[in-house]
Order: sequence, then C-alpha cells, then structure tokens
Amino acid sequence: GSSCSRSHSLSEAETTKNAKSADIDRRILQETKAEQHIHKLLLLGAGESGKSTIFKQIKLLFQTGFDEAELRSYTSVIHANVYQTIKILYEGAKELSQVESDSSKYVISPDNQEIGEKLSDIDGRLDYPLLNKELVLDVKRLWQDPAIQETYLRGSILQLPDCAQYFMENLDRLAEAGYVPTKEDVLYARVRTNGVVQIQFSPVGENKRGGEVYRLYDVGGQRNERRKWIHLFEGVNAVIFCAAISEYDQMLFEDETKNRMMETKELFDWVLKQRCFEKTSFILFLNKFDIFEKKIQKVPLSVCEWFKDYQPIAPGKQEVEHAYEFVKKKFEELYFQSSKPDRVDRVFKIYRTTALDQKLVKKTFKLIDESMRRSREGT
Amino acid sequence: MASVAELKEKHAAATASVNSLRERLRQRRQMLLDTDVERYSRTQGRTPVSFNPTDLVCCRTLQGHSGKVYSLDWTPEKNWIVSASQDGRLIVWNALTSQKTHAIKLHCPWVMTCAFAPNGQSVACGGLDSACSIFNLNSQADRDGNIPVSRILTGHKGYVSSCQYVPDQETRLITSSGDQTCVLWDVTTGQRISIFGGEFPSGHTADVLSLSINSSISNMFVSGSCDATVRLWDIRIASRAVRTYHGHEGDINSVKFFPDGQRFGTGSDDGTCRLFDVRTGHQLQVYSREPDRNDNELPTVTSIAFSISGRLLFAGYSNGDCYVWDTLLAEVVLNLGNLQNSHEGRISCLGLSSDGSALCTGSWDKNLKIWAFSGHRKIV
Repeated sequence: GSSCSRSHSLSEAETTKNAKSADIDRRILQETKAEQHIHKLLLLGAGESGKSTIFKQIKLLFQTGFDEAELRSYTSVIHANVYQTIKILYEGAKELSQVESDSSKYVISPDNQEIGEKLSDIDGRLDYPLLNKELVLDVKRLWQDPAIQETYLRGSILQLPDCAQYFMENLDRLAEAGYVPTKEDVLYARVRTNGVVQIQFSPVGENKRGGEVYRLYDVGGQRNERRKWIHLFEGVNAVIFCAAISEYDQMLFEDETKNRMMETKELFDWVLKQRCFEKTSFILFLNKFDIFEKKIQKVPLSVCEWFKDYQPIAPGKQEVEHAYEFVKKKFEELYFQSSKPDRVDRVFKIYRTTALDQKLVKKTFKLIDESMRRSREGT
Repeated sequence: MASVAELKEKHAAATASVNSLRERLRQRRQMLLDTDVERYSRTQGRTPVSFNPTDLVCCRTLQGHSGKVYSLDWTPEKNWIVSASQDGRLIVWNALTSQKTHAIKLHCPWVMTCAFAPNGQSVACGGLDSACSIFNLNSQADRDGNIPVSRILTGHKGYVSSCQYVPDQETRLITSSGDQTCVLWDVTTGQRISIFGGEFPSGHTADVLSLSINSSISNMFVSGSCDATVRLWDIRIASRAVRTYHGHEGDINSVKFFPDGQRFGTGSDDGTCRLFDVRTGHQLQVYSREPDRNDNELPTVTSIAFSISGRLLFAGYSNGDCYVWDTLLAEVVLNLGNLQNSHEGRISCLGLSSDGSALCTGSWDKNLKIWAFSGHRKIV
C-alpha cells in the first residue's frame, strides 16, 4: 500500500545518502594515498635566522623561480627596507651621541640631521613614496656621513637588518625608472612572513626521473605561543632548524636584554623535547656562516654566555674553523642532552649554510635528499 | 625626553603597584565570598547527581579523518556536526546515521577550529593561515569533489584559535586569535567591524584561545587566553574590555557561558575547570582533579561544555579522560574515558547537541564519538 511505497522511497533516499558517504570515504582515501610519498619538512628557528631566505632559495633553485610580476612585487618591500635601515642608523646615531663616552663621533652634521628627520618620517608612513633620484641622493648623503658610518659599525647592537649594506651599495640601481628587482635583491629583501607558507619541490634536476618530492612549511609568521600549535605538525618527516650562528653578540628585537643565541638555544632545546617530534628527524642549519666568518675576527665568541668557555687559538682562517667547530659541538651536545635516550637514533644532521649562497643551499638540499633516502631504505 | 632606563624604572614601579592592587582585590574578594558553590549546595542539602554507567553511552564512532581531530560544532537545528582535523579537512556528519554529507579539503591544512552558521548552510574554519574561511555547503563541488571557499576573512596577525557565529545572525562571526585579539566580522563583505584588544590597553596580553557568546544577550562575549585571564566584551564597545577575570594559573583553553548567561565556565592548562560570576567577577567554584597517584604530569583541560540545565559540566582532558562534573557539588559523576569504546587519545573538543540529548567528543585518536543519554535521563 501507500506506507509500503513511502518506506520504499525513504530507503531509496537512504541509499543515496549512504552512497554519497561511501564516495566521500573513497575520495579521502585516494587523496591520502596521493600525498603519502611526499616528504614533509617543517622549517623552524628564531626570528631573523634566515628561514624566509631558505624558502626563497628553494623557489629559485628547484622551481620556476620568480616571474617578472613577482620580482616587481618586491620593489616596494626593498624600498621600505632602505627607509628602515636609514631610520635605524639615524636614530641609533642620535642615541649613541648621547650615551657613549666618545660621543662626538656619532654627531651628525646639521644639514644631514635635517635629511635624517625627513627620511625617518617616511619610514613611519603607510603610504611611503618609492625611491627616486632625489630621495636616493638624500639617503646616500646620510649614509656617507661619518657619524652614520661609525654607527653602522655598531650595527649588531642596533637591530640593523643584514641587508643594510647590500642595499646601500646598490641605491642607484634601486631607484632607476624601470627597476625590476634581481634574484639577489629578492633574496636580501626582508618581509615578515604572515601565517604559514608552503612550497613543494624536488631537489633533483627536472630531467632526472623519480626524484623525491618534498613539501616545506615555514611558520615564521606565527609570533606567539608555539606550544599552542606545534602539535599540528606531528608526523612531519623532518624538522629543519635554522640557527643564525652570527648572532652570538646580538640581542633580541623584542627584548634587548636577551642574547639571540641564548634564545636560539632555548628554542632548539624546547623543539627537541616536544612529544610530537619524538620520531622526527632533525636537520640543523648553522646559518649565516658568511657573517660569522667576518665577525669572529673582531668579536670574541665568548661574549655569548653559552660559549663563555671558548678559547681562541690563532687569528685567521684557522680561528674561523675552530670557532665554528666549537659552536657545532655545543649544538650537538644540546641535541643529545635534550633527546630521550631511546630517541638519539633519530636522524640528526648538521649543515653549515649561508642562506644567500645559492650553490651551497643547492648542495645542502641534495645532501639532505640523499640522507632522507638512505634512512628510508634503511628502515 | 625620558631615557630608556627611566622609562623601564617607571614601568617596573607601575607593574609592582598593579600587582599589589590585584592582590588586595583578591583578598577582598576572598573575604566577601565566604563560600563556594559546593559548600553552599551542601548546606542547602543538595545531593550529588547519581549516574549509572549506562546513563550515558557511546552510541556511535565517527570514523573518516586521517589525522587528529581538533574541533567540532553542532548545527542548531539539524543533527549535523562539522569537524576539523589535522588531516586538513572539514567533514560534515549526520550524527544520527554516521553518514558523511560533505568533506572539504582545505587550502591551508593547519586548521584549529570550525563552526556551523546558525542556518546550517555554511561552515567557517580557521587555523595557522591566520584567516577564517567560509564554505557554503550548497556550493557546486568541483571535479575532485571539493567545495570552493566562498569567503576568506583576513586581518588577524596570528593563528585563528576559535570562531563562532553570533546566534541568529548569518552575517556576523567572532574569531579569537594568537595575535591577542578577537575580531567581529561582517561575513558578507569580509570586513572587520570591530577589533577587541590589541592596541587597547585592556585587551589580552597573550594569545586568545577561545570565546563564547552569551546566548541570551548576544552583544556580550567572553574570551580566554594564554595570559590566564578571561575578558568580557560588549560587541558595541570594542575599545575596552568590560571586565577581566583572574584566578587561573595557566593558559585558558576553553570558555563557555553557563546556560543562564549569568556565569561562565573555563578549562585550563592548570588542570582545573572554574566557574565565574559574570557581574561580580567572583570565582564561584574550582573543579580540580585528584592528584595523580603515579605522579604523572597533571592532565590539562582542553575543552568544556555545560548540559542544558547547567547541572553537568563536561570536561575533556589531555590524557583522554572526559569527566562529567556535578556543577553544584563539584564531584565527578562519570569519566567517559573509563567507559567501553572510549577514545584512545587526548580529548581535544566536545559539544552538546542543541536539544541537549547527545554529546559529541573529538580526539587526537582521529575519531569523533556520539554519547547519548539513555534511560530516564534523556536530557540533563
């Protein structure tokens, strides 16, 4: 009767729903399978440790790189970096001329002070103008002021970005009418990452078949309580930890009483102890080696509390290696201390890197690729 | 111009005076509040709720996520549930049949929260991309079966930890974020209507983790934070928090209004749940676990919910326990973690169906479970 037919149509609706649900299950399974072969890498490290530069290098090295529109989009960023740099130097000189004992060498000439005020004002604005010939002349004049040059030598206490010198040396080019940033400019450009970014790549050349596929995540944009989200990354194949070894004499941007290397040490220790990474491989980048190399000749490693028992040997090339090995050993010790005894066999590799050095980054990722393959074949 | 040293000195002095005032306030409160809910209820002769193991049983396990479940929400009318998982998906379930009606693969897989719109036609989610994405469930799916995102609300500078629609308003949504603020959005235009905290001095001083909108006066909402405080906000006056509630000694992971809207409950990394009075600011009750005999780390409270009457407080813990507290007598009447078919990992989220007849729990064991009241307790 009618109830029978109704129940029939009901069950038909039910069948459709069941079919749809089963279809969703199948789709999820397919998608999961398709993702299985991708190695997931998580990029971690303190602020300014070079994470974003590594990210950009990968895009340049193993992907199509930046097209002209992308390159152009960096113009305003680079110009903003110039204004930031000049403001930090100008404000820095003003402060040093008040507090330092030999303060007179930090006093800027009155004319240049006027320029300094004008340029510092630009940096605070949301709608800052792009660099033009006229502004570049101002920037140059201020940059060449002896007081600013003296201040520049004190860059490590001023939170001066690493890109400062590079952009100052290229000012004319940056302000040219049809300026398109070069790859190198883009690598130097400093933008604060927002949220989380990801990139998929394969470190072997495009012509080689069967290259392993990696997906790298950069969470540099999250400046908050890591403990609240780090567990989302449980299951990544490896953590790449960036440590800027050149920062042993620098203080944190957020807390000027705290040494950056100590912050990096604490962060590395914390990451190693996370339960979600118990089975995760660790790749440590001792980054900014180029700056470290130069700095070690002038600033003793022992200024950092962690390295206070460091004994220098002879100056020169030998000293650089000696200091580097010392820092490396400290990180190794920390790794074994902070890993549970049954976890010390997870893969742990240390690489000496300069994120700006394209060849070195390329070589490093090929080594990582080999090591990941080996460890996978071993298991 | 004052030197940095002078400013630091002034700051230290001001901090010290704030702390001493806060301490005086705490003492004063303690004096005024000479009892708590538990002691008062006992003097009134109230007896604890008694619960048989069969009064609340696991009737369904929702399987399908391939990663940890982080968040869930019920529709106000239909018995549908949306869940968000570390596998980078939202799944919409029919809680009565366990059928999946939608699976949405997210562009940013690091999702931490999800919510149903009041009409049940769209869902919102947010996470590490620092944005809140809206999906219309009626949108045409593409070849791969994916629903396109219908709007992305951007503006937060930190992860989106929680989102909730303003009751009965499809176009209004509030988010909380790791950038220390909450934001009221116009979903239609994607514009921020108001920002709560941040620049303003009375805002949270650390990541905001959760929020709850008062269902009787939908202009008011509370937010819980890593600064161990809850703040009460009036949607119409974003410039300052109406009130700040102190008491917890750890991150406040979860905050929920009590059904009458006069009180709210909290769950924290300090291992306790607490009940606060909205108007007086008093902490009315602490719900703390017995210390662990094996001296294990104290489990943290991840998520809480009240029963319809408010008599029961459901609390999920990091060790997989799920306590049913008697709100009045501060006793645990049942631990779902000890029942048959219980989860095998941290309980990360939980919520009651709108009619109060079922509880849904989500866990890091990748599953969701539906617990139904049976016997004489259809609804509590």
